[in-house]
Amino acid sequence: MKLILSTSNIMTAGGPSVIRQPTTYKSNVELVNSLRANFLAAQHATSRETGSSTNTANSNGRSSSWTKQEEDTLYIPAVDFSQGGLAEERPQYDITVKLFYLPGIPVSRRCAHTKQAIDLVLKELHVDSIDLLIVSFPGILFDAEDDSEEDVSSVDDGSEEPSDDFDSTIQTWRSLESLHEQGKISQLGVAEFGSERLARFLPHTKVKPSVDQINLKDCCVVPKSLILYAKQEKIELLTHNDCNDILPIGTTRELLGPGERGAGILASSPDASDGLQGDIETQWVVKYTAVVKDRGVVENKGYFALADVGSCVKPST
Amino acid sequence: MAPNESPITLTTFPRLGTKDDYIQPYYPPSGPALRSQFVPDEIANPHIRFPTLAANIRARRGRKVELNVPVFKDKNTPSPFKDPTVNYDLRNWPEDDDVRNGAAKDDHVYMDAMAFGMGSCCLQITFQAKNIPEGRKLYDQLSPLGPILLALTAATPIYKGFLVDTDVRWNQISNAVDDRTREELGELPLKNDRWRIPKSRYASNSTYISQDPRLRKEYLDPGLIVDEDIKKRLMEDGMDELLATHFAHLFIRDPIVIFSEDLEELDLDKADHFENLQSTNWQHMRFKPPPPEKHDIGWRVEFRSMEIQMTDFENAAFAIFIVLVTRAILSFDLNFYIPIQRTTENMETAHARNAVLDRKFYFRRDPFSPSVRRNQHSPSNSNTSSAAPSVYSTPPPSPPLSPVESEYELMTIADIVNGSTDGSFPGLIPLVESYLNSVNVDVETRCSLARYLDFIRKRANGTLWTGAKWIREFVAKHPAYKQDSAVPEEICYDLVRAVDEMTVKEGADGSVGWELLRGRKD
Repeated sequence: MKLILSTSNIMTAGGPSVIRQPTTYKSNVELVNSLRANFLAAQHATSRETGSSTNTANSNGRSSSWTKQEEDTLYIPAVDFSQGGLAEERPQYDITVKLFYLPGIPVSRRCAHTKQAIDLVLKELHVDSIDLLIVSFPGILFDAEDDSEEDVSSVDDGSEEPSDDFDSTIQTWRSLESLHEQGKISQLGVAEFGSERLARFLPHTKVKPSVDQINLKDCCVVPKSLILYAKQEKIELLTHNDCNDILPIGTTRELLGPGERGAGILASSPDASDGLQGDIETQWVVKYTAVVKDRGVVENKGYFALADVGSCVKPST
Repeated sequence: MAPNESPITLTTFPRLGTKDDYIQPYYPPSGPALRSQFVPDEIANPHIRFPTLAANIRARRGRKVELNVPVFKDKNTPSPFKDPTVNYDLRNWPEDDDVRNGAAKDDHVYMDAMAFGMGSCCLQITFQAKNIPEGRKLYDQLSPLGPILLALTAATPIYKGFLVDTDVRWNQISNAVDDRTREELGELPLKNDRWRIPKSRYASNSTYISQDPRLRKEYLDPGLIVDEDIKKRLMEDGMDELLATHFAHLFIRDPIVIFSEDLEELDLDKADHFENLQSTNWQHMRFKPPPPEKHDIGWRVEFRSMEIQMTDFENAAFAIFIVLVTRAILSFDLNFYIPIQRTTENMETAHARNAVLDRKFYFRRDPFSPSVRRNQHSPSNSNTSSAAPSVYSTPPPSPPLSPVESEYELMTIADIVNGSTDGSFPGLIPLVESYLNSVNVDVETRCSLARYLDFIRKRANGTLWTGAKWIREFVAKHPAYKQDSAVPEEICYDLVRAVDEMTVKEGADGSVGWELLRGRKD
């Protein structure tokens, strides 16, 4: 079974999702807080409507009324795609989407994952294209000190997958280029690429990345080599504060589990009986923002995450 | 410019109004227009509007304007301090009697002309809103920030050659253009005038104007003076009550300058008569309608409280900071509402010496709006048309919310700007950074923004000094200072030279002003 977690628009979500601890403003905190806040808000709204005071899931978790199941997909919470959308005309907006491919997930699924993620965002915002898709490959860390990224092998989660290699990056890029050709995405971007990786990567692309997004604690120390190379290749260097490991498995289980801070959907362990049973595997996370161009106002920002759950998490094809 | 001239930005010239030879060419004081015993008429702009403005304020008021600023009491300052520069024997004009009738107060530095206030320099930022609802929202939401930014930019510790006990210019300007009569001030019973008026026409603002469901009626000033006839007329012609109240409040003032040719014929395609009143209501926020016949200018809001800083870097930092705060306000739909009288009180608090670190300000505890579920629809989405009919003819009745008094508390500026240590208040800078993390910013821009934000963060927590503190310390350490509050010509000269150097070197490598700009000497 697939679980689709969503935050709805976190700009107007009433604060809990906005960072309150000035020292920890990392996107994983933002993601987890806003997912939790959105689950709570949906549970409260549902219990208000039904007048019921018991709004937690029952023992198998499937019939809680604040979620919605469509075929083998469970939306947590239920998303009414007929609502929402943007206030002004489409050309007024810059819509940026960042897709996080997660460690340990087979590269072969990325094409399908990308389509799923983009389609959800298009449905949510009521648009038929996005302006910029930035993809984040697992295991690439940007190091401002020496402008060399190191390949960090994925966390030991029992996965057989090798860490992200260059060929898989190219393979993934092919599928993005085809989405670009279809007109769904105007520009493509990468994250955490140093100048060496960019130089190795560019010759293999038909559609060049127009953006390289780098995470800098102190953004005043960008390597000169990267600045010069990006300028030469007309690649815009953007900043972000996203977390490398945006949604670890343990966090997903805690978010959805029966505990005090959980949503009461998932069992406390794969074979426990206090919720949906089985292993959980987060497949991808996508972040989207719709910014009114002329005025720099962020009108809509949110996340979707997709997780597979079941007694045997099958590789999708 | 001559080789011995350089442009500097100080809020006021520290020895304005002394007998020094500080104006070239020199003119003696006590002219027919200002009738000041301290400054000459020639110090004002010679355009007929300005001497007329000063003369009419004086005429309406029935005496000269009166600025008494509490003196800073140092070790050797006489007590009581009697401003030694006041001439009690001058008899050029009837107004010269003012000082013989007690205009100059003990323990205060006394000034008597519009130039001492309106001659100040400040940092105002004007925003164009996308439409009238957005303009009205920004007007309301920026209003509580006015006193905070005033204290944060404090830069005016010297008047007429004396250290004073306040750090900012605001109240001096307020008094310098106060045209209220004795009746309006409450010193005499009302006989000829219509109202007692609690504030000068230069003062913190007294109205909220946004048609915002979050605007509770408890936030409005119950004692607001409005011209009810004007309000009625505006509403009959279709203006909603909040905005009608705002303008009917501005219109309690008399025009102070009218050109006779403008009275010959009423041209309704022009807004001159409106602007005449609008632009002589000097409040800390100003809501500006689009000018007629200029179709590329929209609804604007002015943020007017900040003091000018001595360096370009500081001025850029504060200008950019306020712009970013407005983007965060609009993006997160922030709510800074507090009862507007608290903002008036905060404005007074901001005057205290070192208020930025030593005082607390009323501020809203939770700037976030309650969660908007999508089936309730976001209020910002319903404001897409400026022609939308007004939904709220009056502020809506308060929902069963917590008492207004529990919505705000006294906070330090460090907490307001940087967030409280317990995380209960997020802080303006973390909000701005949260905003910046949601938009695409290139590395070079983000780097410059980081420098500006870091500067403001450190100004708020005391790592960096305000201009006021730096000037005080400069005077205190000067060998010519005698701990008697007086800032003689020699110190003033060295101070201006130091400011000139600071504008170039910006405190780098331990150069002058490092306490203000770098926080360390290396």
